[in-house]
Amino acid sequence: MSRNVEKARRNEAVLAYFLLAPSLLFLAAFTYWPILRSFWFSLHDVLLGDPRMFFLGAENYQRLLSDGLFWKTLGNTAFYTLITVPVAIAIALLLAVALDSKLRGMAIYRSAFFYPVMIPSVAAGMVWVFLYAPGYGPINEALAALGLPQIDWLNKSGLALPAIMLMSLWKYSGYFMLILLAALKLVPSDLYEAARLDGVSGWDQLIHITVPLISPTLYFVVIIGLLHSYQIFDYVYVMTQGGPADATNVLTFYIYQTGFQYQDIGYASTLANTLLLSVLALIGLIAVTLGRRVHYLGER
Amino acid sequence: MKATKPKISRRRLLGAGLAMPFVSMMPGIITAGRASGPVKLQFMYPVGVSGDINTIVTNMIADFNSKHDAIEVEAVYAGSYENTEQKVITSLGVGDPPSMWLPINSSLQTFLGLDALEDLTDVAKSDDIYDDFIPGFLNTAVSDGRLYGLSFQPSTPVLYYNKDAFEAAGIAKAPEDWDELLEAAKALVVREGNEVKRWGLIIGGGWHDWMFEAFCRQNGLLPWEKDKVLFDRPEAIEALEHWKKMVDAGAMAPASTWQGSANDFMAGTTAMLYHSTGSLTNMRTSSPFKVGVAFMPKRKTWGAAQGGGPIMIAKKQSDAQKEAAWTFARWMTSTDVQAEWGKATGYLAVRKSSWETDSMKAYLEKVPEARTAFDQAEYSGAFMQVPAYSRARDLLKSALDRTMAGEIAPADALNGANAEINREIERVLRRRG
Amino acid sequence: MLHRLSRRARGGWLHFVMLPLAVLWMSPMIWIVLTSLKTRTEVFDPAAGLLPEVLVFTNYPATLSVAPFGTYLINSILTTGSILICQLVTITLAAYAFARLEFRFKNFLFGLFLLQVMFPIYSTFLANFVTLREMGMINTLPALVVPFVASGYGTFMLRQSFRQIPSELSDAARLDGCGHLATLWYVCLPLVQPTLIAFGIISVVTHWNDYMWPLLVTNSDSVRTLPIGLGLLAKADSGADWTRLMAGTTIVVSPLLLMFIIFQRRFIDSFMHTGVK
Repeated sequence: MSRNVEKARRNEAVLAYFLLAPSLLFLAAFTYWPILRSFWFSLHDVLLGDPRMFFLGAENYQRLLSDGLFWKTLGNTAFYTLITVPVAIAIALLLAVALDSKLRGMAIYRSAFFYPVMIPSVAAGMVWVFLYAPGYGPINEALAALGLPQIDWLNKSGLALPAIMLMSLWKYSGYFMLILLAALKLVPSDLYEAARLDGVSGWDQLIHITVPLISPTLYFVVIIGLLHSYQIFDYVYVMTQGGPADATNVLTFYIYQTGFQYQDIGYASTLANTLLLSVLALIGLIAVTLGRRVHYLGER
Repeated sequence: MKATKPKISRRRLLGAGLAMPFVSMMPGIITAGRASGPVKLQFMYPVGVSGDINTIVTNMIADFNSKHDAIEVEAVYAGSYENTEQKVITSLGVGDPPSMWLPINSSLQTFLGLDALEDLTDVAKSDDIYDDFIPGFLNTAVSDGRLYGLSFQPSTPVLYYNKDAFEAAGIAKAPEDWDELLEAAKALVVREGNEVKRWGLIIGGGWHDWMFEAFCRQNGLLPWEKDKVLFDRPEAIEALEHWKKMVDAGAMAPASTWQGSANDFMAGTTAMLYHSTGSLTNMRTSSPFKVGVAFMPKRKTWGAAQGGGPIMIAKKQSDAQKEAAWTFARWMTSTDVQAEWGKATGYLAVRKSSWETDSMKAYLEKVPEARTAFDQAEYSGAFMQVPAYSRARDLLKSALDRTMAGEIAPADALNGANAEINREIERVLRRRG
Repeated sequence: MLHRLSRRARGGWLHFVMLPLAVLWMSPMIWIVLTSLKTRTEVFDPAAGLLPEVLVFTNYPATLSVAPFGTYLINSILTTGSILICQLVTITLAAYAFARLEFRFKNFLFGLFLLQVMFPIYSTFLANFVTLREMGMINTLPALVVPFVASGYGTFMLRQSFRQIPSELSDAARLDGCGHLATLWYVCLPLVQPTLIAFGIISVVTHWNDYMWPLLVTNSDSVRTLPIGLGLLAKADSGADWTRLMAGTTIVVSPLLLMFIIFQRRFIDSFMHTGVK
């Protein structure tokens, strides 16, 4: 008996490795190899376009400490993530619950909230430069119509990042909504029927049934949201190039600048590794706190 | 110096294995290997002006190919100037650069540092290049007296102004020196309460470091040498103080973006704009008012820095390819091609003879504004050709932004940025030993 | 479905809130389409108003003449389609292993999968460019596909859904003598269909709009994709070519929107029951 169990367990493990193999093969070639290269590069003076490398030891990492721009971009990234992600997820959850219905017109609403994700970033960025423009920009025209003062969104260092964050909410709430909408389909419908018969209100159903039951997906969305700041690279690139006065520079943009615009691959690798390690630590932290509280229907 | 990278056979094997299923999945998509026949050349170019440039360049090259049986040029659109440079340098790193490319002239030292450029001095001297090219343009591809490229699409910043707004404000002509600029900007501002409805002046953001070099030059300072920058000199500080004065007077916008500022001008929310000559056609055809073009106002002298770039030819290619590349570069910068190119885009034709052609004369009659940028070119030179120029530009821009926002005094900002830029230049030079 | 009895009341309330919000969300798209039908001077003329005076449909053919958009469209379909098919295979297999099988190093390996999402993509460009070049794949369509075949993102997303499937269902299938692969195919996959569709939509949208990587690894028009055509209109010295950029955006987005409208219908009903009564 116990031998059979052991054999079954071994077979299961073999099957598991077999199922993981295709992914691991491609990850090895296109993710792990670049990461290993990146750690190697970070110990060297590497210039894009020049095959020669010079060993520096920890010099690149020491540079980090005195690099004001690195700390600034780190702060901007944290600020962006801490505000945008919870707000976007909250909006997305409410939208998903509201639009999870067979009512007429749902297709239109879902499309209306999701389409911003589809607009190529080059175009979306350009459109928002126009929307935010002082004077003739529609947003300022709306403010003026309401009797409010005009705001020079993208050109004031205190406002430029919030302006990009606002755009980001428009662009990505629908994205999280879609993921949550799919998760709602995994909630057994008989639970709602039971709750309704017991006279549980809509809000209580949301808090006590929906949220716990989609907690695996919420957990996924929180972790992906944490990495979400990576995506504003495109908008920073198109709209502000990190300016004014680096107010909208975020880490991923700084890494891109350093590696490709300044050709300083060694230091860009150092920045990327630092980002990777910090994010890894953060996600580890979330996994042992939030992750423990996630409720999976398939497991007891 | 250019040791080719050793090929790692294990990874090649892995690569072949990975590629296999896709190769069989998509037959006919893998490009064929090099066949014998005409010399094949790749030419990577950015789009500077508008979508039509792509069509124009493609047609120019089709024309070239049809006239030269032994050469076949493939034009590769490579994004913005930055993207183009990145693409070329990435290919250089694996020892497989394109035959020719068109970067911004500031990158000259970067490419020389990579030992990537063919020296064109001798072949150019035996040709009419040195006689017929406008010296200000030719010099943007010269380092230590040697020529490394043929200027193809030079541009400079110019002062665009809204003629209707000038008329309404009773200003007869465009400002000619810094003080007049300040006065005109003040007179042109429109306010409602605390709100600015129209700025007097916007200096196109994102490239305002380019304009700033022009201000330095106007104040008698070339703010860089081959291996360092000189933004801590009094002339530069005075220039920035003048910017600050215009901002403090409420006449000039403290910050802007490149795209946004062009929109602002066309929408009438600024009366004057410093922007590239490359925008001329777009400004003329999209503005609902009459557009004026003038020299950037002077201080001690007229002055401008050149944007745009030369066609560079790779050192690492066969002699046959180099010869073919030269034929192509020379053709692209020949008299008639340049005249047509300039007319279509707003870039400045590089040859004196191009400006003497009948078609160009007819164009100048119709669009006299095009002449302005050409005349100003006489007072212009290369733009910040230092190693690490890209980082230098960003550091300078950041310093300018912070000054305009009132976070830091002009002198402190420039001294700080200057020291930082020079440190970055040294870091790159250290590699060259 | 919350209140089937008071559906009409709820519907009225929902529309009351959603309609203004949806209009607000849609306004940039409306602006994009309107601008694509304007003349160049109209875009910036403050006197011109919001609506185009005459509808200028010529912006559309004028946009298409800038680059071979037909070829680009085919390439975009081929690459996003290939990426999607490959990803669906790799993530289904891997997510099932992580959700339903026990093996050593499970958590460690899962962490390794997540590394892909955590490492900034631009930092992989150089190494991947070199790798693809050694494979002889630069300037080919597969170069736009292979780096994205495995997806840590998709694996994570699908793993979460697999773990949501009540174990009674899969246990029942196992007891009926189904192997793991049969359980995966006949029981699990149908149940997580909404997740697969959501992932599919996200994957297609992401790779449809990829710009930097295709720009770096392709040279010829014959292997380039739509966003590069759009880049021609946007990334200019002189400010964007507004009317044509907006026409191009409309052209690029339309197929995606159509796809979304078709597939979002699948989010209709839950298949799942707890079996708890």
